[in-house]
Amino acid sequence: MTLEKTDETLLMLKNISFSYKMRKGDKLPIFDSLSLSIMFAEFVGIAGPSGCGKSTLLRIMAGLLKPDLGEVYFRGKPLHNPDPRISMVFQNPTLLPWYTVLKNVMLGLINEKGLTDKEKEERARTFLDMMGLIGFENAYPAELSGGMRQRVAIARALVSHPDLLLMDEPFSNLDQLTAITLRRELENLWLNQILPISSIVLVSHDIEELVEICDKVTVLTTRPSKIAGIIKIDLKRPRSRRSQEFYEYVDKIYTLLS
Amino acid sequence: MDLAILVMILSAVGYSWLRMLTALMISILFSITVGVAAAVSKSLEKIIIPILDILQSIPVLGFFPIALYAFVTLHPIIGPEIAAIFLIFTSQVWNISFGVYEAVKVIPTETLEVVSFLRLNIFGKIRHLYIPTSFPKIAANLPSSWANGLYFLVACEIITIGEAEYRLFGIGSLTAEFMASGMILESAAALFLVLLFVVLMNLLVFVPMIRVSMKYRFETYATEIPHAWFERLVKPFTLPIKIIALRPRFSESWKLGAGLHSFINLLVKHRRVFQVLIAFGAVAIIASITSLKDLITFTHIVYNGFSRLGILEPLIMLGYSLSRVSIALLITLVWTLPTSIILYENKILEKILLPIFQAISSFPATLLIPFIMDFTMKSGLMKEFGALIIVLLGTMWYMLFSLRGALTVIPREEEELFKLLRISGLKKLWYLYLPRMTPSMITGCIVTIGGGWNTLVIAERALLDHIVWEVENPGIGKTMSIATSLGDIELLIATTIWMALFIVILNRFLWRRIYEIAIRRIV
Repeated sequence: MTLEKTDETLLMLKNISFSYKMRKGDKLPIFDSLSLSIMFAEFVGIAGPSGCGKSTLLRIMAGLLKPDLGEVYFRGKPLHNPDPRISMVFQNPTLLPWYTVLKNVMLGLINEKGLTDKEKEERARTFLDMMGLIGFENAYPAELSGGMRQRVAIARALVSHPDLLLMDEPFSNLDQLTAITLRRELENLWLNQILPISSIVLVSHDIEELVEICDKVTVLTTRPSKIAGIIKIDLKRPRSRRSQEFYEYVDKIYTLLS
Repeated sequence: MDLAILVMILSAVGYSWLRMLTALMISILFSITVGVAAAVSKSLEKIIIPILDILQSIPVLGFFPIALYAFVTLHPIIGPEIAAIFLIFTSQVWNISFGVYEAVKVIPTETLEVVSFLRLNIFGKIRHLYIPTSFPKIAANLPSSWANGLYFLVACEIITIGEAEYRLFGIGSLTAEFMASGMILESAAALFLVLLFVVLMNLLVFVPMIRVSMKYRFETYATEIPHAWFERLVKPFTLPIKIIALRPRFSESWKLGAGLHSFINLLVKHRRVFQVLIAFGAVAIIASITSLKDLITFTHIVYNGFSRLGILEPLIMLGYSLSRVSIALLITLVWTLPTSIILYENKILEKILLPIFQAISSFPATLLIPFIMDFTMKSGLMKEFGALIIVLLGTMWYMLFSLRGALTVIPREEEELFKLLRISGLKKLWYLYLPRMTPSMITGCIVTIGGGWNTLVIAERALLDHIVWEVENPGIGKTMSIATSLGDIELLIATTIWMALFIVILNRFLWRRIYEIAIRRIV
């Protein structure tokens, strides 16, 4: 698969409105006519004040939640249900504790009719290898550290060769050191075009993390959220967190947030 | 039906409720004492937990005639009343005790460390730490304890031992009287009022208490009990209990307890001395009450009972009874598994059906026994069938609620993951629901079987004003009931011990093992 930067849209949210229904019939509006596009071969970060609906936005992109108004288009077609070409990594690894690591990853292929069990296993092993988990195939999730569990979750999200990977604060439950390593690895895999995916959307409350690995960062306002600004990060990779330009970008995002 | 009868029914309900409340209070106090002791002290834990485990497997009604004997000899009029309260207590207490024990046992280490900085003595810890932490577990167990107590209340208001019949005024004895004299309308009215009071009790006392107790939990819990439609109607009336539960007025009475306070301090300081003193005292009291002669008579009774029963006969009875209980369990599983999943997946159906199930489940099925007797005798149906219904009515609900509970705590992200992977239907059942339900299903099996054994004494043989109704085949419960009617204390003690032993062995060597294997895979 070749990944060239094109201007084509992979996923588009068009004028979506969404609100949570509270008890007593009240509504808590999250989005009011929000539009947003994710291009092919793009690493997009989403930042916003807590409670602004970043995770909700991601779930709408995944087809898990339906907007009250507006339409979601994936590859030009309306998206109504979860699509096999969209994967998601949650804040918690969400592995099924009663299955081994291998079986958990193979779960990502459970609906692939064209593959034999043998091929499924092979493919799961390839991705476990990519995430540095070779030798742990038969371990149970409870035996792994938090960082390793999140690696399994990423492998499971990638194994079905999706076009779009949605990540909901995937590093926030890990300790700093583990988070840095995993982030670096993910960035390298993506840059070297080893991953089968075209685009990644990363939700995070860690601004520096976003500036470090994203092509552009979309900043949301407080509820009902609008787009406060989209900042393109024009820095050479690998980016140094200590450079002057890096901080200028971080400052810019913080200004938009406050 | 005139007003006098209505008043009579109401006062009968009042009497029965008073019995239940007294027993429940004692149960809670007992549970806090014993549960905290077992959770805090390693050495006490080793003694208390196995004892509780055995006590909870002894059939409640096996206790009863023995207790009745003891209490009646104590006082002929108050004795039966105390015996009834004691029986209800034994049917309510164990799950609350285990609840307190578990709650205190899992207090996070950090909390314990913080509390240790406060330098509280044992009394202060009980007040500020152990009671609040076990409150959610106690509250959660109250409805089932209440239902359980009601189930056996009906059985203990009339009891015949040999020649003597003891009749306590209450809803159980009153309904039986109505039925015996063919007053169908009056019995129906009584049943309806019991149902009404049970529902009100749940709505006005237990549910508000559970809601308040949610605030006491350590973990933040996303899923709450869904607000039932009729709960909104009674909401204003639940305020008093909420206020009481939220602000327990300990402080004033606590000052009065200052003297007691220092006494407890003294006790704690010289723990060893007091332990030895208490042990000696207990031995001395037992020795003074039971003379050597009594002890010999008692051993004689037990020995005679066992030698009369032999070995083959009780095993046959146990086999029949076990198969009754197992069939009831099978039926329970067959209907609760799909139902719990349907309730979980269909929120509208859940809103309608759940409150109805809850109301039916807390209704004492023993009150229906006269009707079931009547029905099987008139329709010529096997009495085995009637017995099965009685066992089912008493035991099947726990499984439904515990399976549903397991489903409702499935993490939201797991649900989302399955939606993303587009896994549904049977595959979802196999990959997600069944594994998530397994621990609760096994606990459910243990509880259902345990409850089944308890109900056998009532289900295998029942009396309604000299009409004897019993299953066609042998059964341990039937024999126990016959022994009670005949006043044959030897036979009663022997069968009770046989049954308790059998249950304990089954629990230890079968259920415990299965549970441990399941837990190891699923945590």
